[in-house]
Amino acid sequence: MSSDPFERPRAANGRAPDVFKTGGWIPMRQHRDVDEVDFAIVGTGAGGGTLAARLAEKGFSVVAFDAGPYFRPLEDFASDETAQEKLYWNDPRVVQGADPIVMGGKNSGKTVGGSMVHFAMVSLRFRPEWFKARSTLGYGADWPIGWEEMWRYYDQVERDLSISGPITYPWGPPRPRYPYRPHPMNAAAEVLARGCEAMGMKWTPTPLATVSAPRGEAHPCVYRGFCRFGCSTNAKQSTLNTYIPRAIRAGAEIRDLAMVGRIETDAGDRATGVHYHRDGQWRFQKARNVIVAGYAVESPRLLLNSATDRHRDGLANSSGLVGKNLMTQPNQAVYGKSKDEIRWNKGPPSLAITEHWNYDDEKDFHGGYCWMGQGPLPIEWAKTMTTSRGIWGDELRLAMQDYNYQVGVKMVGECLPSENNRVELADQKDRYGLPVAKITFGWSENDKALIRHALDQMEMSMEAAGVTDLFRQEEDANHLGGTVKMGDDRRSSVLDADCRSWDVPNLFVCDGSVFPTVGGVNPSLTIQAIALRTADRIEQLAAHGDL
Amino acid sequence: MSGPTRAADFADLADDPAPAHVAREPAGRDGEVRGRRAAPAWAEARFGLPLHAPATGVAIGPVRMIHGAAAMLATSVLADSGIEHDRGQYHNPAMFLPLVSSTLSILASLDGATRDEKRAHPLRLASYGIAMTVGLLGTGFHLYNITKKPGGISWENLFYQAPIGAPAALSLSGLLGLAAEGIRHETADRPPTLLGLPAAPALAALTSLGLLGTTAEVALLHFRGNFQNPAMYLPVLLPPIAAALTGDAALRPDRRARPQAKLWLGITAALGVAGVAFHAYGTSRYMGGFKNWRQNVLDGPPLPAPPSFSGLALAGLAALALLERHGDD
Repeated sequence: MSSDPFERPRAANGRAPDVFKTGGWIPMRQHRDVDEVDFAIVGTGAGGGTLAARLAEKGFSVVAFDAGPYFRPLEDFASDETAQEKLYWNDPRVVQGADPIVMGGKNSGKTVGGSMVHFAMVSLRFRPEWFKARSTLGYGADWPIGWEEMWRYYDQVERDLSISGPITYPWGPPRPRYPYRPHPMNAAAEVLARGCEAMGMKWTPTPLATVSAPRGEAHPCVYRGFCRFGCSTNAKQSTLNTYIPRAIRAGAEIRDLAMVGRIETDAGDRATGVHYHRDGQWRFQKARNVIVAGYAVESPRLLLNSATDRHRDGLANSSGLVGKNLMTQPNQAVYGKSKDEIRWNKGPPSLAITEHWNYDDEKDFHGGYCWMGQGPLPIEWAKTMTTSRGIWGDELRLAMQDYNYQVGVKMVGECLPSENNRVELADQKDRYGLPVAKITFGWSENDKALIRHALDQMEMSMEAAGVTDLFRQEEDANHLGGTVKMGDDRRSSVLDADCRSWDVPNLFVCDGSVFPTVGGVNPSLTIQAIALRTADRIEQLAAHGDL
Repeated sequence: MSGPTRAADFADLADDPAPAHVAREPAGRDGEVRGRRAAPAWAEARFGLPLHAPATGVAIGPVRMIHGAAAMLATSVLADSGIEHDRGQYHNPAMFLPLVSSTLSILASLDGATRDEKRAHPLRLASYGIAMTVGLLGTGFHLYNITKKPGGISWENLFYQAPIGAPAALSLSGLLGLAAEGIRHETADRPPTLLGLPAAPALAALTSLGLLGTTAEVALLHFRGNFQNPAMYLPVLLPPIAAALTGDAALRPDRRARPQAKLWLGITAALGVAGVAFHAYGTSRYMGGFKNWRQNVLDGPPLPAPPSFSGLALAGLAALALLERHGDD
């Protein structure tokens, strides 16, 4: 039967867990450490998991490492807020700066499938102009990829994840119909819609990566509401139950509980494999190419920890930009009380959205934002009440009794890149003896203006929807970006458009850290679209002998 | 009170030349008054119901079939609205109405199908009349439910708010029941009428429209389910063929056999039964399958919905049987 996923690796002995069956297994091809595989991929989330599948499907030999365990959703994801913290990267980090980032559930994952295992499933496309933010909107940086090309990869990832979305999307250039129909809206989503209608803004059911009808072995959503944790029904289309099983079917090997600590390079500028810790010992996997996909903190940390005499400032860091331009998306909220029962914990939290301020440029700051319905579970709600309203004890207990009548909206906004916000190495070491990441962050004046604008707009919309007793959650942030940016010029970027290091030609980084700008939408779909593009580009490079 | 006479019947069909086989029939027992309880005058007036028709020498088959069709539709409505309105926790007391009405419709149909008498019964008529009305009211309620939601008549609301097409099944059940009552006076020599129209083509037209309406609802809901199983296309693609052939029979009601129409109505009827099995399979794909039936019967594809196709197909077959006997007499 099933073992403790933390105790010893599950993906071993020629098999990996079957995520669709309690105690089930699927056969998995395995490689020896001395076999020089085509790709060693560090991380199995939105970037790494997607690449593992596509590269294996293109015939490359792939070993993908994840520091976290390999869960089976049906048996490992209890409906318990506290128990679900096992999904986060809770290893020590040093945070500092004017606005230190709270690391954990909202910006990390430590499990096969990565943070997609607990992501809120919001699957949005970038506004096309954001790919050329500097040239068209006058802020941030230009991406080395055009939106038309990204649009094709968005189409592909939306099909691969069977995104459930509206029949027509109200903003941006036309996109194909979402593969699955939108989910029914809960009362919290209806309040958002009424607020938007009162303010003359468009709104729509949110495109979500959770299926509204059966898909293969995945059950449809049961609207249980534990969506920002592991989805125990498999309705959530995370990397864990989409690309990872595809990767294994195509011959890739997944290594769980395998912490990569260092990328090895030869005397020249080529990576030769990765050092990883598994089953209580350090091992070395030989590889022709290495792909780092550990997200905006762990990816630069690994590059910095892989410094050599030849690459003294860290691998791939001739630009000095590894770790720089860290961004985190503002995630402020406005909450209040409805006279009608809401029960906002029912169903996915973000069933309706307005992207109005992502597409309307009539504002006195750069960047955009969207806002979505909310459904915090009781512990998170109690924490929000305590931190935002400063209430405690009896007052908190009484306030919690209004839980079923609370309603609110929360933003996901654009933070501008700044070299002052960064990831470096701290003096402290983690349990593997590796220096931990030191994260420095502070909002810019532009970020603060954007947050103020969003809070005002959200509050007006809640008022317009008849919500009373309003209060603001002013301090919160979520998704990360930047730190290993892509670009057109090796002096001002770490990677080229193919996510390939300018310095180490067989080293790639593919995750949210490659973003030159983060836009005002949740990043996972864009990360995956980039991963799909990178897989195609790698295939083309290999065909031309350029790999 | 006297029953309608042959002359009166022909007067109803003034523009319709009587075919030879009708003229040849001897004018026998028409107008005889039997010692039975009579249908109310309004029924007679509205549906042309012969209250004192002879009981012998006439096939009651189509009447039974149409009562059966009405019963199937009503059963489908009873179970479906029972499940869905239970899920809606009867937050509006009006949500009990379809349960009461469909039950009455089922009882009336069982009664009607088991009796050979050649005339309508006021309680059955009342039951069917109520079904027709409650169905109409339901459509109004459901439409109101949709329009009061943000977005109004939008895909989101058509998918998930009260199903706009569902109450029509109750109206159809009522209409079919009234039709069954209306043709009780059918004899070999005298074609039945409904609302002054020849009954067979009228019934065929009703069936055809009912099939198309049901198909439209299925198309909407299977689109909502993304046609994730290819079998979900069957009830969208096949019933319209039966509807077209039955519609053709309504428009060209000459007296002849229609094996194609019968075949496709038979297929549609079978599809209604198979649909229950398909929906049961679909339900089993929800988390926990039938072990978690209390949740999945509510959330999965509606088990009682598909037999409405069977009910309508049965009515279509009855219409064809009548046409075969009378044509457009």
